[in-house]
Amino acid sequence: MAASQSILGRAGIVLALVVFVFAATGPIVWLLLSSVLQQQALTSIPPDLSPSSFTLANYLEVFSSAAQLGRAIINSLIVATFTTALAIILGAPAAYALARLEIKHAGTILLMVLAAQMFPAIVIAIPLFITASKLGLIDTKLLLILVYLSFNLPIVIWVLRGFFMGLPLGLERAARVDGASPLQTFLRIVLPISLPSLFAAAIFAFIEAWNEFFFALIMTRQTAQTVPLAISAFAGQYQTMFGQMMAAAAISVAPIILLTILLRNTILRGFADGMLKG
Amino acid sequence: MAEATRALPLGTGHRTRHARVAPLFLAPALIVLALLLAYPVLYSIWLSLTDASLSAGQLDTPFSGLDNYRQLIGDKSVSAALLNTLYFTVVEVIGVVVLGLLTALLLNHPMASWSGFRVFLLLPWAIAPVANAVLWKWIYHSNYGILNSLLLQLGLIDQNVTWLGDPFRALNMVLLVDIWKSTPFIAILFLAALQNIPKTLYRAARVDGASTFEAFRFITLPSLNTAIAIAVILQTIWSLRVFDLIFVLTKGGPADGTVVMNFLAYRVTFNFLKFGYGAALANVIFLASLLLSIIYVRLMNPGAPRGR
Amino acid sequence: MNRLPFLDRRSLIKTAASGAAAALVLPSLSRPSWADETALSVFSPLPPDPAPPGAAKFSEEAFAAWQKANSAKVTYDMVAWPQLHDKMATAFASGEHVWDVVYMSGWVPELAKFLVPFAKNLPKELIDDLPKSSFSTVTWDGQSSGVVFTLSLLTLFYNTELLQKAGFTAPPKTWDELKNVAKECTRDGNYGWVLNYGDPAGIGGTASYWMCFLQQAGGKLYNEDGSPAFNSDAGILALQMMMDLMPYSDPGSISYVGINDATNVMTAGKAAMMMNWPFMWKPANDPASSKIVGKLAGALLPAGPAGSASIDGTDAWTITKTSKNPELATKLIEFYLDKDVQKRQAIDTGWLPIRLSVLSDPDVQKALPNAAVVLEQANHPYDSYVTPDYNEVTVALGTEINKALAGKSSAKDAIAEAANLVAAIVKKRG
Repeated sequence: MAASQSILGRAGIVLALVVFVFAATGPIVWLLLSSVLQQQALTSIPPDLSPSSFTLANYLEVFSSAAQLGRAIINSLIVATFTTALAIILGAPAAYALARLEIKHAGTILLMVLAAQMFPAIVIAIPLFITASKLGLIDTKLLLILVYLSFNLPIVIWVLRGFFMGLPLGLERAARVDGASPLQTFLRIVLPISLPSLFAAAIFAFIEAWNEFFFALIMTRQTAQTVPLAISAFAGQYQTMFGQMMAAAAISVAPIILLTILLRNTILRGFADGMLKG
Repeated sequence: MAEATRALPLGTGHRTRHARVAPLFLAPALIVLALLLAYPVLYSIWLSLTDASLSAGQLDTPFSGLDNYRQLIGDKSVSAALLNTLYFTVVEVIGVVVLGLLTALLLNHPMASWSGFRVFLLLPWAIAPVANAVLWKWIYHSNYGILNSLLLQLGLIDQNVTWLGDPFRALNMVLLVDIWKSTPFIAILFLAALQNIPKTLYRAARVDGASTFEAFRFITLPSLNTAIAIAVILQTIWSLRVFDLIFVLTKGGPADGTVVMNFLAYRVTFNFLKFGYGAALANVIFLASLLLSIIYVRLMNPGAPRGR
Repeated sequence: MNRLPFLDRRSLIKTAASGAAAALVLPSLSRPSWADETALSVFSPLPPDPAPPGAAKFSEEAFAAWQKANSAKVTYDMVAWPQLHDKMATAFASGEHVWDVVYMSGWVPELAKFLVPFAKNLPKELIDDLPKSSFSTVTWDGQSSGVVFTLSLLTLFYNTELLQKAGFTAPPKTWDELKNVAKECTRDGNYGWVLNYGDPAGIGGTASYWMCFLQQAGGKLYNEDGSPAFNSDAGILALQMMMDLMPYSDPGSISYVGINDATNVMTAGKAAMMMNWPFMWKPANDPASSKIVGKLAGALLPAGPAGSASIDGTDAWTITKTSKNPELATKLIEFYLDKDVQKRQAIDTGWLPIRLSVLSDPDVQKALPNAAVVLEQANHPYDSYVTPDYNEVTVALGTEINKALAGKSSAKDAIAEAANLVAAIVKKRG
């Protein structure tokens, strides 16, 4: 497409790119910026961006507030890590089976796994809330770890299956000829070369669990509160401590942004595995 | 194509061992999913046929047949929520698909090959919906929000607008936020599909004297058919699930202007504690999602074996 | 050839290690709280909404002393006021034990079956010092499951300076005067009226504000048999009055979810009048956050066709049935109602005491001039119409009212529709 690039065309593309970058990152930059600005600076019209307006006070306030942000962060970390680990442990073999091993009714199972990804949370939340209440599991991290599997497991299976199906058959064939069982082939041959995709699946699962709000809202009260709940508690207050609101949000957002930037290639490859290998 | 790469070509001995072991690979995951998904769905169907109430961990389920569904049909708040949901979904799908396609076309251009652009695209996707909602609440703030600030400075408005103050306007502002957040995923989908179109097709078209627009219309669009269909279905399913945004930004207000089916089901169940009615509402949403998911799978796997 | 790959030494050790780690970590994942015999958990709103010592900043020494004397450790779970009801409703439904003492405002009839009727165990001298009527909103089915801890009625608050600038030396006394003052004060970027219409539900939500006007117009919410009685001239007039104030109200009113947002507009000097609870005196006269120090005054709510009227905040303490220490919890509530604590509550936070002896204390009356206004308001009707389905009723009512306020419906249609909705809800009450 190189030959007939008019100056106007190129300028148009540049303009479009500028608009794109501004639209995609502008709000997030504003979030981070607002979190380090003083209240007076934020309530001036236009916002006062002079160097003296910057402060870390918002973060300090947010941590010492009633919303128990420190505990929420620990809870979120624990829940996200364990649910991701479980999803990988359960999902990787399942994905391999669906990709490589002969399964009866594989098509139907695949359909169910895929449909599972799309359940509106409310339909399983009501029965799970009732069951968890009867079992006394409400407000525990264990409950969240298990419940989050309902969306993490399908994600992991979907991404890994796509990846496994794209692997060249040679290695596995050779292992079989050598007499290795499917389990050995899986553990010794396939898994080690799947690390990038495993990693991608794990990142997706972690991000989804870290960001999850709805289940946490109805299944936790105090002890097992996660970061998204703490943020919503802030938004429910005054609605006038803007800097603190943004600081609370930034605490959830900043680590994920860092993760996304550092692991961008893994994430994009995970998208590819999950999306294209139908 | 799925068949050929799936099963490994093996001798008979291997196949029988295969068949024995394969279910073991799959079983743990399936059991977990059955417990977490299949069982609750069945439970929810049963709940919707009762006038369930939960009190101190005790569930009372007096049978009431189809009463909840009859009430659903006559309930004005349900029809209002359905209307809102329809509007929200249709506009969001159109918005996301169009914007996603435009973004993908932009990023597919040789001038946009810097990987940084793709990272920027990922950012709205990655942040928590709750954090996103809180951010836009701040952006939309009528007195100090940056939207009013910018528009005032640019002279496009002459006094502050209460963006979330009017029911219909609030619905549209919520739409805007969700479109912003949902476009990246669809854009990446389109980008991948675009990159799969062989460049030779475009070269041949150039040789034949086709303009850029004709190339788009006769090569790009048809090749994206499946991707567009998939995008529409996926985004529809996701539009039905919007919750965090509404909860934080408007709580369904003002005057129930931003109440969609999902939010209504939550409010009925967890605010009014009417578990049977809430389950009925949830089942309606579930049915819609299920139908859409089936369409999605058919689209992805046109030749897939239907069981066996 | 190794038939069973997971039985070699390295895998065994790894499995054992992860098993041990899991065994250590898993219990902490499922045990929801520590089991301490004398721990008390209190569910309270965030200040400046009514909050007890330790949550709000008053009587902190007395509170520490009380805990020591009773070998108790009191922890507070505080959330923003609009989130209280939903959080406690789901907690009670699931039967988990979360709190011993719970703040209630209009929800006692709804949640009475989860609460301990402890009011009869309070010392006689305390009960005698409380207004008899304060028990009406926390009693259901003959059982008193709560005790109100602050005399809280909505009254009018106005900015004397803004009124003077518009040519008024006295606050409005009737509906017409209210509209006129609001109109004249809406200028120079300021507004005559501000309130929070963002949340339809509960006491302090849109529906409850309308109930003030309803009573001022001589109407009532329910008939003797519980059916809606407000689809009447009084009901429509009340809504029309609120709609008439809209052009002179801060446009953000329709999106303010909590009273605090509206309060902030007034303390920033941007609105001339509002209805508010007694505590407003404090933040308005706090130089650190208010621009209207010394310029705030209180008055009776303007009279409608039937005179002045208001609603009762019904802020009360209750004890949950799941509490393992109901006696200690009762003692804690007695502490909250102690004379000195009530006095400091009034002077330090602005929330009036409920104890009659403290209300008439000269120190309290000097520090809170608007206490006299509240007492006078109490001579007029102040029914909050609390029922077990109060939440559902106010959501339905408040949403219709909001539609009218947003200009999407006429007062007549909104009230008629609301009456239908409420009738359906009441029918299910049985």
